[in-house]
Amino acid sequence: MTELDYNEEEILARASKGDRDAFGILYGHYVERIFNYVYYRTGNPHDAEDLTARVFQRAMNHIKNYTDRGVPFSAWLYRIAHNLVANWHRDRSRKQEIPLDDLPVLPTKGDHPERNLVRSQEQDSLLRMIRKLPPERQNLLILKFVENMSNAEIGKIMGRSEGAVKSLYHRTLLALRDQLEDQNLNLEGE
Amino acid sequence: MTDQIYEDDFDEIEAHLAGTLKRVTAPSGLFQRLYDRIQIPSRSEIRLRLKDWNRLVFVFGGVISGMLLLITIARALYYMIGRKGVL
Repeated sequence: MTELDYNEEEILARASKGDRDAFGILYGHYVERIFNYVYYRTGNPHDAEDLTARVFQRAMNHIKNYTDRGVPFSAWLYRIAHNLVANWHRDRSRKQEIPLDDLPVLPTKGDHPERNLVRSQEQDSLLRMIRKLPPERQNLLILKFVENMSNAEIGKIMGRSEGAVKSLYHRTLLALRDQLEDQNLNLEGE
Repeated sequence: MTDQIYEDDFDEIEAHLAGTLKRVTAPSGLFQRLYDRIQIPSRSEIRLRLKDWNRLVFVFGGVISGMLLLITIARALYYMIGRKGVL
């Protein structure tokens, strides 16, 4: 167990007793990750901001009920985020909304800012394809590539075994490759 | 990331996924805005307050009802005693 894990246990214990400062520490630690997850699931920075706030509000309201039964706190947060995003998609499908592709793009970390301003056509196509995948496959890709999580960590969040995650990942890559072939997309020229 | 047998097949698509799905930089001031927003009383707190209000309304209603009942009994007794006096 690392120092950070140990601290998190203590912080969680304080937060579950209603200590808002302790919850603030958890918020600071996880808010960026949750925002990224929600952003990629919605494709919309405005809704991502609103949903991220709701994730933490819900977490704060229910943190007293949180107990670590093999599910880390991060996994618990991602599950809340997943449920809220699912509700968001359901509500959105009932209303006419701005298409996701017309919404602003946030710059990614680590690249040159000018390069970030315009997402390449190939990346846009790939993102559109990812958003058409079933939610659990989208979750898997976001957690693996955006959060750099291992299959075991993803399994804890998704409530699946490591082997099941590996298998789902393989099927997802196959599906994406088939779609790319169908659309005759050339991913070579970036 | 996948089994060795599939590695060559998926290298390219994995590279493109890695290039596309990268951490984004959140809009400036987002974290503070959200933090401030989270400080707003939560739904459950508001619900608790409403529950207290409900209790207050019930107590107030009970007191008024009790008083009205007492007044009605007093008026009934006064009316009956008064009639006896007339007879």
